[in-house]
Amino acid sequence: MSSTTKYEITDVAGKFAKGFLKNPLTPILGIFLLLIGFIALQVMPREEDPQIAISGGSVIIPLPGASPEEIENIIVEPLERKLREIHGVEHVYGMSMDNVGVVNVMYYIGQNREDSNLKLYDKVMQNSDLLPKGAMTPIIKPFDIDIDIPIVSIAFYTKEGSKLSPNALREKVVAIQNKMNMIDNVAKTELKGDHKTQYNVEVDMYKLSAYNLSMGQIMQSIQSLASNAPEVKGRTMDGKITMFGVENAIESVEDVKNVVVASYMGSTINLGDVANVYEGVDTQKFQDASIIQKENNNSHDSKLGKETSQVTLSVAKLAGTNAVFVSQDVMKLLSSYDKAFEKEGIGYVVTRNYGDRANHAVNELMSHLVITIIIIAVMLVFALGWKESLIVTFTIPAILAITLFIAYMTGQTINRITLFAFLLSLGLLVDAAIIVIENIHRHLHAHDVDSKSMEELLVEATDEIGAPTNIATLAIIMTMVPMAFVGGMMGSFMKPIPYNVPVALFASLIVAYIFTPYLSLKLLKKPTHKHHHDDEDLSHNNHTVLEHK
Amino acid sequence: MKKFENLIYSILDSKTKKFMVILLTALAFFGTLLMFPTKLVLAKMLPGKSDNTYSIYIDTPTGSSMSETKKVSDCVVNILRSEKEIQHIELFYGQGIPLDYAGLVKGSGMKQSENVAEISVNLSDKHHREEPSYLMTQRLRPKVQSTCSNVVKGSNIKFIEQPAGPPTMASIVVEVQGDNKEEIRKLSLDVASILSKTKGLVDVDVMSDDSYEKYELVLDKQKVAESALDIKQINDLLYLSFEGMAIANKNAKKVGGEIPIFLVLSKDTKVLEDNSKEALEAKLMSLNLMNMAGMMVPLSEVVEIKKVKPSGMIMHKDLTRMINVIAETDMVSQVYPLLEARDVMMEHFAKKGYTVEKEAGMSTYMFDLHLTNKQTGEKYLLRWDGEMKVTLDTFRDLGGAFIAALIMIFLLLVIYYKSFILSGIVLLGSFLSLIGVILGHFIADLVTKDTFFLTATSLIGFIALMGISSRNSLLLIDFAKGLINCQNIPKKRAIAIASATRAKPIALTAIAIILGSALLASDPVFGGLGVALISGTVAAVFVSLLFVPILMDNAKAMDKDEDNETCNIEESHQNISITK
Repeated sequence: MSSTTKYEITDVAGKFAKGFLKNPLTPILGIFLLLIGFIALQVMPREEDPQIAISGGSVIIPLPGASPEEIENIIVEPLERKLREIHGVEHVYGMSMDNVGVVNVMYYIGQNREDSNLKLYDKVMQNSDLLPKGAMTPIIKPFDIDIDIPIVSIAFYTKEGSKLSPNALREKVVAIQNKMNMIDNVAKTELKGDHKTQYNVEVDMYKLSAYNLSMGQIMQSIQSLASNAPEVKGRTMDGKITMFGVENAIESVEDVKNVVVASYMGSTINLGDVANVYEGVDTQKFQDASIIQKENNNSHDSKLGKETSQVTLSVAKLAGTNAVFVSQDVMKLLSSYDKAFEKEGIGYVVTRNYGDRANHAVNELMSHLVITIIIIAVMLVFALGWKESLIVTFTIPAILAITLFIAYMTGQTINRITLFAFLLSLGLLVDAAIIVIENIHRHLHAHDVDSKSMEELLVEATDEIGAPTNIATLAIIMTMVPMAFVGGMMGSFMKPIPYNVPVALFASLIVAYIFTPYLSLKLLKKPTHKHHHDDEDLSHNNHTVLEHK
Repeated sequence: MKKFENLIYSILDSKTKKFMVILLTALAFFGTLLMFPTKLVLAKMLPGKSDNTYSIYIDTPTGSSMSETKKVSDCVVNILRSEKEIQHIELFYGQGIPLDYAGLVKGSGMKQSENVAEISVNLSDKHHREEPSYLMTQRLRPKVQSTCSNVVKGSNIKFIEQPAGPPTMASIVVEVQGDNKEEIRKLSLDVASILSKTKGLVDVDVMSDDSYEKYELVLDKQKVAESALDIKQINDLLYLSFEGMAIANKNAKKVGGEIPIFLVLSKDTKVLEDNSKEALEAKLMSLNLMNMAGMMVPLSEVVEIKKVKPSGMIMHKDLTRMINVIAETDMVSQVYPLLEARDVMMEHFAKKGYTVEKEAGMSTYMFDLHLTNKQTGEKYLLRWDGEMKVTLDTFRDLGGAFIAALIMIFLLLVIYYKSFILSGIVLLGSFLSLIGVILGHFIADLVTKDTFFLTATSLIGFIALMGISSRNSLLLIDFAKGLINCQNIPKKRAIAIASATRAKPIALTAIAIILGSALLASDPVFGGLGVALISGTVAAVFVSLLFVPILMDNAKAMDKDEDNETCNIEESHQNISITK
């Protein structure tokens, strides 16, 4: 059977192969693809979990003096009814408590956050005339996960022997907090467990009645002295300005102590006589924080030490920015304070670092990816030969590079799920290249190999398997596409899979058609006639074919 | 290869052998399906993941003081101290820990009262630690709860782990909905007691204010007016004396922000002797107010003390009153304890004089129970929410995606082959890879220490497998058709040759997939996907090389096509096979 007539290209596969086989731009295209993939890998925002668009918010309406039942009837129910009218709202949760009503709104997963917030605000404002008399202005607080979930948290504490007071520690941390907000892409910074400086006046009730005084009097006498006066401009005869001001009556805690609360039979009673006045911290704030850590940080078996009070500074990042970079910047800033901390006896522990965690997770998966590629390459060496294996192995980074770049362009981030999508597609995307290289391999060892030029042979081998490979790949892509329409939390969480696997598969087809024949032309040679051991199966098949003819 | 070809041929040639293969496949298929009802393979949305951190939420009864809450947390910390792997413990009193994914939906950010505390526990790195965090919490939970819950009676201590996937409020949430406030409270307590008796459920909590007693000061309006006082003055005095107020500010030159001057009664003079009405009365006796005439009036003169029960917070969901009862699962899937608890509830409420009806029809609310009080006719609803609802929603959506994928592949094949039967064969072949998926999970469950669940990711793996295994059948049919039509080889022999020839590339791509997924299988979240792909691919290879040929043999569409047109398309195969 002589089929040495000019081969007619029937499939896109052949067209790609023919177009790029002798093109000098092909290697440049290859390098370019790898390069954009590498760039995308470096600059793409990294995070541990993919972002899920959860929208919602709370509306808080205080109505002082109302019981839960009243709040339920006149605030929560009418408000809930109105909020249910908003398009895209899944659930409305109402909470009626003493003095205040709270309605939480949860939108369906995947609703645009900005629009949702606006709709909520709009609805509440439109209906503010329905609010009962005495109700205060509604407070509307949208949920914002990116801004709300801190990526770094640091616990500051005073070391043993340090004389720093809790409020002095707070001052130091507030100074750092201000600097943190200067870092690019840092969103919200927050303190927990902090205590502010305050002048405490603790009145002894029994002394009060002994001196025949009331709390109201004490309050008034302090308030009458604690006003801050502005500077006054006086004008002289010749039109100049003389500035003068009244010194504040209260400049220190001593001044508070000396406030006269009453005069009694000619002698004055100072605040210090009836109350314990001191400069301290806000004791009325019951919220507190403390930390327990190992006595010796370096030894694993060290025991946990005692409870020390601490101030936690937490830092969140803006949406869509790189958690790794932000947390690195935060750490850098923090370490610049090391010396000052040493001097003042401040210790700190980084209790959360999501940036670091994301980086670890991504790097670990990247190494898995590389290991898997190597395993597949080794397997192919045994199955096809080392040159063929090399060709297929090259196509993998090229395909991943294209996928990564497209993911970057479409605003995705590198996260655990994206990398799992890559791992999942790895087993699938070598297929196209394997099928092409196997067919080339077969053609090279075929009977009529001498009658054709190498180029012709490569194009023919690629074109031949084009149609079934296209259909097969299309079938796999089709299984992935409906997954993009899965709703809910899980659907959003899994989105990177239906987004990236089809792209990777499509890229695998193109890369297989372009680069496999090209690299085969460079690396593979036509075998000499004596060289026959490779196509045992094939010749065997041909025998059986002929037998049954 | 010759051997394999002959094997296939001998199967195709003998009716009994053919029947045996079909029978075995059918048996394997239904056998593996039976693994679900017999609970050999358990389903769950996502398994737990080992993390370097977990948190503990402490809730003492509503109205408890900070020092009571601290007592409970001290007890918890004391137990934690014996753990070697703990790096640091952070305690946050009266507030939540810095917000994390778990806390986001559990309302941790909203906490602001004296009866709550959260503990964040940081462990050494998971790579250098033998015990995964989920086993550690499982081990510590009973110990901590039995020792510390009774330090302050009625305290609730929960262990919260970082979710592997999207966060939910709790594994199991039962919404008790109804209009009668008292009755839903009673029902929710019943539900909670049933849940806490169910095996596998822990951290059961009723999300409502505990009932506690408070005193109300009733002002005697007549006396207030007579003593020339005003009510605002009285309110202010009370607040100022016991809670304190920042009454003035001093502009600070050095420190950030202004310095408030805070006025309050001193601790030792404002402290009450005990919780009784008399103690409060005595305290109010010594609190004096100055009236407009400048005379001192003791506060106790104008008020009367009354004991009341506060009504507590009223929760609504979508305009209906409800109380949430939540529970976490202890290393098991939530499906099975849920069904067990539901059976107990149906029995329990039927005994208590309610008519219990199940939710009609199929929906993701299919486990809901409708209760009607036989005496009053009032209706109540027990709705299952939380992770269960998310699981059902996800499995429903993934099932839909799966059916959509099936239809699309089918249509694609019909376009390609122009035959319904051949397309059907390909689909049936790929559907049978389910045998491998389920069996793979069973084996994975046997070899791993913890339960290996069939998860949402397993389902994704199965959907991807459909495409992969349909490709195997596709190439096989393609090849066989070429042989039959262009080389006049008898149908049975052609199919046998095709199976033998395609065995190598099919096995090669299968090995690539198996190796590619091997590292996936060790991941807690994506382990299901890895196992599904590996075992499913193995099954797919067997199905497409042994079972699909039999179907092909029986299909009329595979008969020799007299119209020679197809042969031209298949010319390429002719080249491969004949030229030598």
